Amino acid sequence: MHHANHFYGHAHVLAEYCGLDRDKPPRIDGYVQHGWNVVDGLGGGTPYVSGRPIFVWSEQTRRRAWSMGRRQATVTGSPWLYLLAVEPDPEPDHEREGTIFYPFHGWERQGVKGDHQRLIDEVIATEPGPVTFCLYWHEYHIAEIRAQYERAGRVVCHGYRGHQWRGTDTRFLYKQLAELRRHRRVASNRLGSAVLYGAAAGCAPAVYGDPMQLEREDIATADRIRRQWPELHGVHPDPVEATASALAELGAGQLAGPAELRAMLGWRRGHLEPAETAVVADAKSVLSEEAA
Amino acid sequence: MTSQAAGEEKELSVMPGMSMIGGEMLKWSDRRPDERPPAGGPVLAHLLDRLAPLVPPGGQVLVAGPHDETLVNALARQASVTLLLRSHVDATAAAGNGGAVLCGTLAKLTDAERYDLVIALDGVDRLCSVEGPQYDWRESVRALQRVLRPGGTLLLSVENELGVHRLVDRSPSTSPHTDSEWYPLGEFDDSRPGTPDRLTALLTGEGLEVGWLGATWPLPHAPALIATPDALRAGPGGALAAAAAGAVAAAYAGAPVLSDPRRLAGTAVRAGLGPELAASWLVVAHRATRPATAPALPPVLSGDGPVTELTRTPEGTWERRVVGGETRATPQRDPGRLDGPMPTGRLLEELLLGACVRYDLPAVRRLLTGWAEWLGTLSAERGYATVDNVLLDGDTYALLDPSRLGTTTVSAPAAAVAALHRFADTLLTGGYAHPWPAATEAGTLTAVLVGAAGLDVDPDEFGTPVPAEVPPPDSLREHQEQLRALRQQLDDTRKHVKWYEKQLAGKEKELRKTRKQLRALRGSRAYKVAEVGMGAARRARDLLRRARH
Repeated sequence: MHHANHFYGHAHVLAEYCGLDRDKPPRIDGYVQHGWNVVDGLGGGTPYVSGRPIFVWSEQTRRRAWSMGRRQATVTGSPWLYLLAVEPDPEPDHEREGTIFYPFHGWERQGVKGDHQRLIDEVIATEPGPVTFCLYWHEYHIAEIRAQYERAGRVVCHGYRGHQWRGTDTRFLYKQLAELRRHRRVASNRLGSAVLYGAAAGCAPAVYGDPMQLEREDIATADRIRRQWPELHGVHPDPVEATASALAELGAGQLAGPAELRAMLGWRRGHLEPAETAVVADAKSVLSEEAA
Repeated sequence: MTSQAAGEEKELSVMPGMSMIGGEMLKWSDRRPDERPPAGGPVLAHLLDRLAPLVPPGGQVLVAGPHDETLVNALARQASVTLLLRSHVDATAAAGNGGAVLCGTLAKLTDAERYDLVIALDGVDRLCSVEGPQYDWRESVRALQRVLRPGGTLLLSVENELGVHRLVDRSPSTSPHTDSEWYPLGEFDDSRPGTPDRLTALLTGEGLEVGWLGATWPLPHAPALIATPDALRAGPGGALAAAAAGAVAAAYAGAPVLSDPRRLAGTAVRAGLGPELAASWLVVAHRATRPATAPALPPVLSGDGPVTELTRTPEGTWERRVVGGETRATPQRDPGRLDGPMPTGRLLEELLLGACVRYDLPAVRRLLTGWAEWLGTLSAERGYATVDNVLLDGDTYALLDPSRLGTTTVSAPAAAVAALHRFADTLLTGGYAHPWPAATEAGTLTAVLVGAAGLDVDPDEFGTPVPAEVPPPDSLREHQEQLRALRQQLDDTRKHVKWYEKQLAGKEKELRKTRKQLRALRGSRAYKVAEVGMGAARRARDLLRRARH
């Protein structure tokens, strides 16, 4: 339905959970919420087609979507939790170490304004153990920013989110899960998907430091987030309370079984639509196909 | 008098046993197809059986108004019965069967203090003919009371103008539609009681002491469930609400209504308004002094074939027992299975609907999974373990009516799929919010529900769903709701088509751009050189291959 369904390989994770080929997820009959948000589950600017379901993470998001006129919001829980179901920890008793820190990130149309060095200094001064900085692909490819973080610790990037079904790192979430399972703590300077994912993967979550700012960002939303989820903010929030809150946001307890999810996504046996791909490749690949 | 009327007088036949008391209606019958059927059914028949001991040897019974022959004949075997009928045609037919008949209007009834038992299960609105005074409810009851002996008993059905059957009626009771409605008072008969308490008070005022009162469903003339206000207040509420909804469902199968009477009946009973919104009240009232030997009537009687009574045990539980009606076992139904403790809890359908409108997915899945697993433990009754016939108390699932049996055993997944298809229909057409709003088609919603029940099967594997044995009522309110939903879906589909067109235009633009790039690349010197080189290489390869062979 929308290319955002493939972001981070969400559709691929859902296909694996449903017992289908994870490399070729069939077309999803609706919109999968592709990141934590405090609106209707859709990403900003997503051209919503009326009547199509939005597969949201939590019942709270469904209520919010309804109040915004989205009548078709359907709670599935987040793809992250489905990933946890298909990828049990191979070494559940292994030693975890240090903190993985996710600096607030920008994207193609909005960069982040703020002092990265000040944030790095605060994180290094706060965290007791080694720090892994996980940069979003956007900042990872900005050499100066990446260098700043590399001077302070290990730097990783889980991969490219994807766009218009192209370049999607379909193993994005698998890599993120493997990284999170190595760390004792997950932290960020803004509450977002990564902190929630980390809490669900067994890290103690924290949100602190200069929150920075997106270009043209509505700051009222950031303030509202701090007011509504204080249990997830701070250097050392109560891990039990914080994890419970994170799990609720991800839709723990709401997950559908494979057969039910298949029916919800339009993936019933005998009713499958072909996998979605970038429909028109670039001229170079057309040429090579013709030559073959 | 016209000559034609005089001619009719000459032809008037009076059968033996028939007394013309005056005010009779010639060429009229209360048994026309478009009129309300006479009072009857297995529950009323059983009630009369229980009351027969009230009539002493040689005692007299008056049956006032149209009653089903089965009731009258059964009674006639135990006592001396006289019928009061306003229709000459009906009176002639009854007298032909050997009964004593008073033919005429109620106002002409003069048999003062004659009867030990007066039965008016059809109510009192078909006792006065067009001739003479048109008695209101109270005057009619007074006329019946007068013919009772002291200590005699009146068995009276009183229609509730605010009963579920009235609330869902598409026609107003005050607008005449058939030939019998020449005096359509409806709720404007101010003498008519509107609650069981007022009914009791009015009868007391007429010198009648109420010994038993039951609220009935689904229709005044054919009750399939009678429960006393005490039973409705303190009895197994979930089972009684389900029984009321079930009785209404059978009576209104496919019938035109304003809104779904099943929901109204069930909700009223659960909310403690059962007696107030019942279709009618049945009273057993005694003209002072009350007989010492009045038979005890149970708190609940019900039945659509076999008749069961529900009684409270000394331990405070409720026991069901078959007491009459059709008691023989057949391959399709074994009434003996109704005997035993009455299942408690709430109807599974109501629990599911409650969870759906709360968007409580974990609860829906828990209910459905437990039910689907329980289906596996059943055998011949499995096909009838539909969500509208199952009670759930804690973790215990039980059949409300366990007597119905399938002649072939259906597999548990097949039974679940069939039942869930019906439940999907209920969700879609019954006007209920549910957690899967985009599943607007029964097949898809069934597949979702089957998955939510933990079954890894697709409904398509089980072929075309069989329509429900009891189709839902044909309800205007739900039609209105479906119309609104369809308009919305049409609007959504239009937007969807526009979106596809936009997507297509975008893809065509991309394709044009790609073709243009392709042409430019083919025209380039580098491409031409490469093409010549590739051609030469291909030729060389072919030569080499031929040389090898």
